[in-house]
Amino acid sequence: MSALATFAPLAWRNLWRNPRRTLITLIVVSVGLWSVLFFNSFLVAWGESSKDEVLGLLVGSGQIHAPGYMDDPNIATLMAPPGPALLAALNAPEIAAWSARLVLPGVAVSEYKTLPANIVGVDPEAEKRLSSIPAKVVQGRYLSGPDDTGVVLGLSLAERLKTGLGRRVILMSQNVDGAMSEQSFDVVGLYDADKATEDFYLFTGRTTMSNFIGLKNGEIAEITFTIAKNAQLESVVARLAQAAPDLDVRSWKKIALFLATTDAFMSNFIFIWLGVVFALMAIGIVNTQLMAVFERTHEFGLLRALGMKPRQVLLLVTLEGMLLIGAGVLLGVALAVATILGLSGGVDLSRFAAGLEMFQSGQVIYPGFDVARMAAFSAAIWGLGVLVALWPAARAASLSPVEAMRHET
Amino acid sequence: MSEPIVSCRKVTKTFGKDELTVHALVEVDLDILPGDFATLAGPSGSGKTTLLNMIGALDHPTSGEVVIDGESLSGLSKNQLSDLRLHKIGFVFQAYNLIPVLSARENIEFVLELQGVAKDKRRARAEALLSQVGLEGLGHRRPSALSGGQQQRVAVARALVSNPRIVLADEPTANLDSKTTSGLVDLMQALNHEFGTTFVIGTHDVRVIDRTARHIELEDGRITSDTRI
Repeated sequence: MSALATFAPLAWRNLWRNPRRTLITLIVVSVGLWSVLFFNSFLVAWGESSKDEVLGLLVGSGQIHAPGYMDDPNIATLMAPPGPALLAALNAPEIAAWSARLVLPGVAVSEYKTLPANIVGVDPEAEKRLSSIPAKVVQGRYLSGPDDTGVVLGLSLAERLKTGLGRRVILMSQNVDGAMSEQSFDVVGLYDADKATEDFYLFTGRTTMSNFIGLKNGEIAEITFTIAKNAQLESVVARLAQAAPDLDVRSWKKIALFLATTDAFMSNFIFIWLGVVFALMAIGIVNTQLMAVFERTHEFGLLRALGMKPRQVLLLVTLEGMLLIGAGVLLGVALAVATILGLSGGVDLSRFAAGLEMFQSGQVIYPGFDVARMAAFSAAIWGLGVLVALWPAARAASLSPVEAMRHET
Repeated sequence: MSEPIVSCRKVTKTFGKDELTVHALVEVDLDILPGDFATLAGPSGSGKTTLLNMIGALDHPTSGEVVIDGESLSGLSKNQLSDLRLHKIGFVFQAYNLIPVLSARENIEFVLELQGVAKDKRRARAEALLSQVGLEGLGHRRPSALSGGQQQRVAVARALVSNPRIVLADEPTANLDSKTTSGLVDLMQALNHEFGTTFVIGTHDVRVIDRTARHIELEDGRITSDTRI
C-alpha cells in the first residue's frame, strides 16, 4: 500500500510529461472501448428488435406440433386439441400467452391470379395476446371470432392477387377425404408486415377453417406460445415436452433458423470486434509505452542508482499503464453512456426499411444498458491493456543502472 | 586508524572480448576512510567513472573485491545492492539528474520515501537540507525552473538526505561555470568539515581538485598516485 502511495502520484505525473502521446493513447483506448460498448448495445438492441419482430408475428417463443408436421404440414399430420396435462402446462405462470392454430397449405384464387398461401385458422382473441398481426391490420378489420368467415390478407398478397378490401377470394385446400375443398371468403382486412409473411400467410377463423376442410373433432396444426418475461425458454420447453410426450415441442431457435443464426452471430460478433479493437489498442499501448520507457532509460538508471529495486521500477511503469488505460476506460465508458442515453429514444432506420426487412429487423432500434456486459468489457480492456503494458515495464525493470545511465536523454 | 568505509582489493574491470578487450581498471587497491574529502582525478578514459561505479555498487568488477562498510558486494543480489545504495551511498551525477516531474523538495524527499520514512519527518529533513544548501524558498520549483548550479545543490541535498556513509560525485561541475563550481565545492567542503561527510569526487576539473584534501590519480585504469594534503 505504501509503495502504491509512493509511486502512484509519480506515475500520474510521468504520464503528462508527453501530453500529446498520452492523449493519443487515451483517445485510442476510449474510442476503442466506446465502439465496443456502443456496438454491443446497438447489436443487442438490433437482435432483440429482430427477435421481437419475427417472433411476434407467428413464431412466438416456441410451438407444439404433431410429429412430422414440421417436415410435411398437411391434413394427415394434425393433432388433437390439448389434453388436461398440456392445458395445465400451457396455463402455468411462465407462459404469457398461447394460441391453437390450424395451418395448412392451400391456394388463394382471385379473378386474375392463383397463388399458393398458408391458410391459418385462428382464435382472434388468443392471437391478440400473442401475435402482432392483429395490430398490423391497416385496412378493414381483424377477425372477430373463431367462426368469422372473413379472411385477412397481407398487402403484398392482395396486390399480387389484384384483389382488395370488400372483394372475395376463393381458398382451396386438401380436406379430410383427401379431396380439394374450395370456398369463397370475403376480404375483411389487410395487414402490413414483412413481405414474406404478407405473401404466404392469410387468416380466417379457426372454426370456419375447420369446417372448410371437414374436420369434426377440433383438430389443430400447432400451438404457439410466448413465455413470461423472466421465464427460461429451455426449461419451459422441457416442461411442455414432459406434459405432451407424444408431441413435437420446439423453441423458436429450431423453427426460425435464420433468426437463430443471426442471433448467434450478433452475440459473437461483439467478441470479434472486441478482439479487433484490443489488437489495435495493444499495438498503440505497447508502442507508446516502449517509447516512453526508451526516452526515460537514463532516468531509470538514475532511479536504480538512488536505490529503487527492479520490482519498484516494474511497479512504477505498470502503474503508469494502469492509470493511462484506466483513464481511457473511464472516458470510453462515459462516451458510451452518453451515446446510449442520447439514442435511448430510438434510432430510426426506416430509410433502410428494405434492407431491414431482409434482416427481419424492426425499423427503430432502442439501444439500452447491459451493465454486466459493459463492466465485463471495460474490465477486459483494462486488464488486457495492463497485461500488454507489462512488457515495456519489464524492460525498464531489467535495465542495468550503469547501462541505463550511459543512455543519452 | 578507523576502519575504511570502502575497500577495493585488486579490482579489475574489463569490457569487450578478445582483441577488443578494454581494461578499464587494473588491480586497483584503494581504501576510503571516514571523513575523506577526496578526488579521483585523471584524464578521460582513465577509469574514474568505472571506479566510482564499483564503489557505488552500480557495477561488478571482473575480478577483485569491493567492500563497503564491511560488506563485500560480490555476493549481493540486485535487491540487496539497491538497499545498500539506498541506505549507505549518496550520488551526485553530472547535470540533468534530478527527476523532472518532482519539485526540488520532492526530489530530496524521494530517497527517504523509498526508505519508508514518514511524511512529516522527510518533509522536515528536506526543508532543513534545502536551507543547508542555500535553496530556502525554492523547494517547490521543478528542476526546469532552477539554474544548473541550483540543480546540483538539490542533487547534493538529495545525496545527503539519508545520512549516507559516503557521497560519490561524478563530474559534478562538468556543466557549471566557475562561480557556480566554486559555490558547489564550498558547500561540499563545508558539509565535510561540519558533519564529517565522506566525499569521493571523480573529476578532472582542477578547480575542484585544488580544493580537496586527498588526490587519487588514475591513468589507464591504474592508481598512479594517492596523496593527502
